Amino acid sequence: MEMGQFLAIFISAVFINNVILSRFLGLCSFIAISKETKPALAMSLAVMFVITMSSIITWFIYRFLLIPFGLAYLRTISFILVIAAFVQLVEMVIRKISPPLYRFFGIYLPLITVNCAVLGVAVLNSDMFFTKSSAVAGSFYYSLFQAVCVGVGYTLAMLLMSGIRERLELCNVPRVFKDFPLAFIIASIMSLSFFGFNGFKF
Amino acid sequence: MKDRLIVSASPHLHKGESTTRIMWIVFLALVPAGAAGVVIFGVRALWVILWSIFFALASEAAIQAATKRKVTILDGSAAITGLLLAYNLPPGAPLWMVAAGSFFSIAIGKQVFGGLGQNIFNPALVGRVFLMASWPKYMTTFSKPLSYDAVTSATPLALLKESGVPGNISYQDLFWGLRGGCIGEACIVALLLGAAFPLFKKYISWHIPFTYIATTGVFTYIFGAKTFFGGDWMFHVLTGGLVLGAFFMATDYVTSPLTRRGQIVFGIGCGILTAVIRLWGGYPEGVSYAILMMNAATPIIDRFTRNRVYGS
Amino acid sequence: MKKFFHEFLKGIFRENPTFVLALGLCPTLAVSTSLTNGLGMGVAATFVLLGSNVIISGMRNIIPGRIRIPCYIVVIATFVTLVEMTMKAYSPALDRALGIYVPLIVVNCIVLGRAEAYACKSSVTNSFFDGLGMGVGFTLALLLISGIREVSGAGTILGREIIKGFDPVRVISMPSGALLVIGLLLAFFNLIKRKK
Repeated sequence: MEMGQFLAIFISAVFINNVILSRFLGLCSFIAISKETKPALAMSLAVMFVITMSSIITWFIYRFLLIPFGLAYLRTISFILVIAAFVQLVEMVIRKISPPLYRFFGIYLPLITVNCAVLGVAVLNSDMFFTKSSAVAGSFYYSLFQAVCVGVGYTLAMLLMSGIRERLELCNVPRVFKDFPLAFIIASIMSLSFFGFNGFKF
Repeated sequence: MKDRLIVSASPHLHKGESTTRIMWIVFLALVPAGAAGVVIFGVRALWVILWSIFFALASEAAIQAATKRKVTILDGSAAITGLLLAYNLPPGAPLWMVAAGSFFSIAIGKQVFGGLGQNIFNPALVGRVFLMASWPKYMTTFSKPLSYDAVTSATPLALLKESGVPGNISYQDLFWGLRGGCIGEACIVALLLGAAFPLFKKYISWHIPFTYIATTGVFTYIFGAKTFFGGDWMFHVLTGGLVLGAFFMATDYVTSPLTRRGQIVFGIGCGILTAVIRLWGGYPEGVSYAILMMNAATPIIDRFTRNRVYGS
Repeated sequence: MKKFFHEFLKGIFRENPTFVLALGLCPTLAVSTSLTNGLGMGVAATFVLLGSNVIISGMRNIIPGRIRIPCYIVVIATFVTLVEMTMKAYSPALDRALGIYVPLIVVNCIVLGRAEAYACKSSVTNSFFDGLGMGVGFTLALLLISGIREVSGAGTILGREIIKGFDPVRVISMPSGALLVIGLLLAFFNLIKRKK
């Protein structure tokens, strides 16, 4: 484990390979829920939480179940089931113990099951931090850190986009570009500007 | 109806200034830097400038006519976009590429959002990063100052990035603009001279340029060398597009924050991002990217630095 | 027969998953850098759609309503795993190019959306043609986008250079170019819709 590796993961996950702007994961939710800042922020927090937790769970499953028993081909199916079950569980728990919290972000949880970002990060972790049959050194910490950073990247894109779209509400945008098309074009320009971090090196 | 109501904090005074007048004054303020660019890099630079302005105006007129809106190419905003784009191009940029950049600036940077006053990003910079990503080869070939033929030379920042030392160039040369670089960014004297009048008349506020340049200076001083507090901050302030960007692009009314507090946050953000890209990024220069990223953050900054309603 | 044809055609035009319903955009944007990749993803997704639609509609009376979503996911994930293994075995180059976007077909909104909105309440044959239509519609959309991006972003068609000396607009084959192309295409389709 090196410090430099962590920094590289951070810059890569937040800016260069931003989940939304470069990997296009979670794009549907990004376009659909970024019209106002408050819900966008709530959604981001929910996504960040689920990505982190499911990365931890899937790491253990991959490391201690799938690899030792030679079942790596069951990765997709087992990951998505575990994520779905976990999200369902969290939703039930939150609804029971804290109705205000549920109203704040619980309503977004069911959406997150089919958010490609969650499964995407789990798959990515198992691609990046495992060699053919074993975990690389520090694999767990890298996976965990990458999950958090992806969440940060998601939140950053979501926050910027929601601010911009709130402002555009007051503008006289050409009708054919209203909503979706313009949101994509803004995302494109944001992606171009994040390009400035390309080739980042310490 | 909603879009006809402008909500803003009091006092609601009218200065007797129109947007058009301010636009043309800023345009004039930019002329010295361009003239210096033509002197330093030769007449080729003049063609790039004229071509860029012409295409910006033509694109604006064509799009407005095609969408059946009033053609407003005389308000000066498209001319400034074209001029600023040219200032951010190397003097030897092929003219077809200048045209493509100009069109992209106006179409995607501005008209898609509904035209003047509604764009989120600085149109000229949108055009520049588009060109940078599409044709990096032409965007990073710079000509040697005062040689007037096809001799190429790297910019001081590119030299610094490649070899770790900026080559032997004096502060004085940097100040007068005797270095490889983009057309409008080289001559610091001309830029400052041009900026003086609009600054004095408060058409552009000092908050953004000052905090932007100071932050870049401080940051490069602290982290610019192997040991802390040993960076060549003067070099970083005088090279690249920093002065041009800080005075004329980061201060764009439409794409920067409204309140003074917001502008200071904006300037500091630009400064940090610029320094970070210059010191550790893959590109030698980060001004355009930094300003665009902060443009994206402007609505959020405005939201959190809004003036409080009196009494709340 | 005409009815089946209708089911098939609606996925291609009236309810095109990409341009009309704006579903499943992640893979559309990510893999549309070249026609080959677009075609590969389109065929893979069509296979999964077809398979899951048929199985789910066949089992629609057995699956209990309350746990139907997990059941759908299991069915879909099974087909995705089949695709993954086939692709790894027969076309490793394509598998590398598509990367994590193959397993991500599981969470592609089009597949789950058709299961939930159509297959769970329609006959097996209807679901078959619905899946086929949606799959072909998705593939055509992918081919359109990846065609545009390959020609303008790389200056090639199916890997062959078109015009000598043409400097391609490289940004189009980058992620930001994908977002730009889809934004402009959506605006273009809006324009057509309004003209009608």
